[in-house]
Amino acid sequence: MAIFVILYYSALIGASCLAAYYNKRSAFLLLFSLTLVSFVLGIVGGPSALRTVAIFAGALALAAGTSYAFREFLIQITRPNTARELRTAPLTASFGMFVIFAYTIAGIFAPWIAPHGEAEVIGQAFQPPDQSMILGADQLGRDMFSRIIYGARNSVGLALMATLLAFAMGAFAGLYAAVRGGIFDQILGRIADVIMSIPSLIFALLMLSIFGTGLHVIVIVVAIIYSPRVFRLTRAVAGNIVVMDYIEAAKLRGEGNWYLIRKEILPNATAPLVAEFGLEFCFVFLLIAGLSFLGLGIQPPTADWGSMVRENATLISFGDITPLIPAAAIALLTVAVNFVVDWMLFRSSGLKEQ
Amino acid sequence: MKKRFTDEDVLLKIRDLKIEGYSDETWVPIIKGVDLTLHRGEVMGLIGESGAGKSTIGAAAMGYARDGTRISDGSIEFDGMELTTASETERRALRGSRIAYVAQSAAASFNPSHKLIDQHAEAPVHYRIKKRMAAQEDAMELYERLRLPNPREIGFRYPHQVSGGQLQRAMTAMAMSCRPDLIIFDEPTTALDVTTQIEVLAAIRDIVDQFNTAAIYITHDLAVVAQMADTIKVLLKGEEVEEAPTREMLENPQEEYTKSLWAVRSFHSPQRRRPADNTQPVISVQHVDASYTGGEKVLDDVSFDIYPGMTVAVVGESGSGKSTTARVITGLLPPSSGQVLCKGEPLPPRYQDRTRDQLRQAQMIYQMADTALNPKVRISEIIGRPAQFYSGLRGPKLKQRVDELLDLIELDPAKFYSRYPPELSGGQKQRIGIARALAAEPEFIICDEVTSALDQLVAEGILKLLDRLQSELGLAYMFITHDLATVRSIADEVVVMQNGKVVEKGPKDEMFTPPHHPYTDLLLSSVPEMDPDWLSTVLEERGVDNLGEAADV
Repeated sequence: MAIFVILYYSALIGASCLAAYYNKRSAFLLLFSLTLVSFVLGIVGGPSALRTVAIFAGALALAAGTSYAFREFLIQITRPNTARELRTAPLTASFGMFVIFAYTIAGIFAPWIAPHGEAEVIGQAFQPPDQSMILGADQLGRDMFSRIIYGARNSVGLALMATLLAFAMGAFAGLYAAVRGGIFDQILGRIADVIMSIPSLIFALLMLSIFGTGLHVIVIVVAIIYSPRVFRLTRAVAGNIVVMDYIEAAKLRGEGNWYLIRKEILPNATAPLVAEFGLEFCFVFLLIAGLSFLGLGIQPPTADWGSMVRENATLISFGDITPLIPAAAIALLTVAVNFVVDWMLFRSSGLKEQ
Repeated sequence: MKKRFTDEDVLLKIRDLKIEGYSDETWVPIIKGVDLTLHRGEVMGLIGESGAGKSTIGAAAMGYARDGTRISDGSIEFDGMELTTASETERRALRGSRIAYVAQSAAASFNPSHKLIDQHAEAPVHYRIKKRMAAQEDAMELYERLRLPNPREIGFRYPHQVSGGQLQRAMTAMAMSCRPDLIIFDEPTTALDVTTQIEVLAAIRDIVDQFNTAAIYITHDLAVVAQMADTIKVLLKGEEVEEAPTREMLENPQEEYTKSLWAVRSFHSPQRRRPADNTQPVISVQHVDASYTGGEKVLDDVSFDIYPGMTVAVVGESGSGKSTTARVITGLLPPSSGQVLCKGEPLPPRYQDRTRDQLRQAQMIYQMADTALNPKVRISEIIGRPAQFYSGLRGPKLKQRVDELLDLIELDPAKFYSRYPPELSGGQKQRIGIARALAAEPEFIICDEVTSALDQLVAEGILKLLDRLQSELGLAYMFITHDLATVRSIADEVVVMQNGKVVEKGPKDEMFTPPHHPYTDLLLSSVPEMDPDWLSTVLEERGVDNLGEAADV
């Protein structure tokens, strides 16, 4: 123990001195204030508190290192234009991209990565972690880790499909409303108002109890709930574009609405729409997880993060973190997507750091 | 006007000023070492094309570097105080109280939700120079001196309730509110009509004279600067070309670049006449009335003809209905009565009802090339689309046609074929706009203020190009403009519009020789001339209270 404490302080003080010597002001302030805080922590909590701090800092450094390396990797493999954009990405954004990338891999290659099937009972209920099951077993004795991996495919895939459908409907209607205008615009706008005026979770519960809980029903219901938001945004963005002279020139040329939407408006509206897509994806994902938690989403035995939280919820009273693992998976993805979206919004809004 | 300045009077001294701007992740020099000396009571005109760094120097004189720029070297000394090393608080204390700024667009610079006089009183109250009531009294006095109508009441209006020229004068009054030593005028009259411009110019000149304020007058209009400035400094790409007292500079410019600026206004295309045989006009506007939904009549019985191969210039102030006439011709705004004939055949009033061939015949070139070209579409597609749409060209034939068109507008096809509009300069964008109109193979093109957003040299190039295309392709132009110099150089016939009515029309030579309609006369005599005494002469002729808006027509 004593050796760890000595190493801990010498590393911190050494790093502070180096930072001070090389005039890295912010790094020095951070390191040295951490040293001071550690003195207090060491006295109050003993070596175990310092160990927690060390692990936490190590994890943060690992995440930062991974994001940095991942960004460099992306810069190397992409074309010059994309690479230049990526160079401006902050570490948070590349961390987000890395997490999304990891989830994608997990989702696509789930059957090969997962050691067991998602519905395969291989141990006792709530069996603690061991050699064959690194995260232990759930309430029926299924491997938690395998179910998390399969959950990436089911939960994320479903949310993605629902978001895509919501975007297809909302964006098309929004663009068309902006181009056509008049009574057509009014009607679409009022329909959107009506849908938005119904609380979304109650509307979803209602629809799902009427039409049953098939996957296609979930996708369609969620898409309908979220399309008005997309509609409004798209209409507002396109509304600013249709007043431009180049749209007038195209109209006077005799171009049809479809050409205007596809060739003239859409290329100028993609940036805000892509950012909105990321944001909406998070909401859809959380809504579907919430529905699953209530038992109206994806039905067992299919693995799904939302329902996994509910199924294992009883375990939390025994101080076990197993039910929090799928919840953490949801949280991590949401945060990751938001990191990327923040960066995209920053770019499309044209804000420049001084 | 002759003033002598001595070294003791030096107010602002800029030495070897260098300013850099941040773009594409590196710092690029914008101002490359400019010297400037300004005495108390002196008015210096800064002229040059856009991008010459005029406004940047103007801002630097206040010790201010705009977002994305930094002062990298040199010294700025204002009344013995070094601004480059002064703290932000010290510099801030100068602005508004001792150095004031008048922006190009007063409409965009006033806060629309506060009354003029409240905005006027803000600086004196803030600097504790005057109490609010005293500042308001002072504002009214300044309004009176600037010859604003109703000076005791106009301050209690909101910015949208007064006209553009009045707003610009109110802003000058605001700049005067603390009696500063230096005022920077950044193109204060560029956005105004000639008839309004003249009264703003007269007002500015008077008040600067009365309070013996030094001023830096930034503009790209030589004739304007000739009226205002004691000394003129010519800038090109961040470097000084030359500096001399106004008269000397006008009579005897030294540098080649300055001479070329002076020569710009000399381009003249020979005047064409209407064909003698009974050829049908390409476009004939007949007794057109029009109004926007439910509003007042914007056009009232407008009629004129445009014959093949001729240029008809439509002139008038903003709000006179020039652009509305264009919208009626293109079918964007169906007229409430009257009709538009194309080669003797009536055109359907709405563009949606016109055939492809009818749409092809009338093309438009827009004022703002930035908004007229889709920034996310390649040049090849912008120009190629009309050719593909109307003539059904595809593949290699289409590419050949696009190359041909690019050659026609004097841009290298190999270089520009697959670029995007934001990568081009203003003049190049305008040329692409012309190529897009030509791609439809029209007989008639509406040019809506095509040169007003461009620098004089670039605008000259565009006019020459249009003129060449006209003689090669036999095009007819309807040239909407408020710039009479443009009319002089390119028009064959002139239509003068006022308040939605045609007040006079005829061939150019007749229109430019007296007798005129009084409104035409007002327009013509309001165009600034290069003669430094022009403004004084006009003021004498008309009397100071009978200018612009106040003039009796």
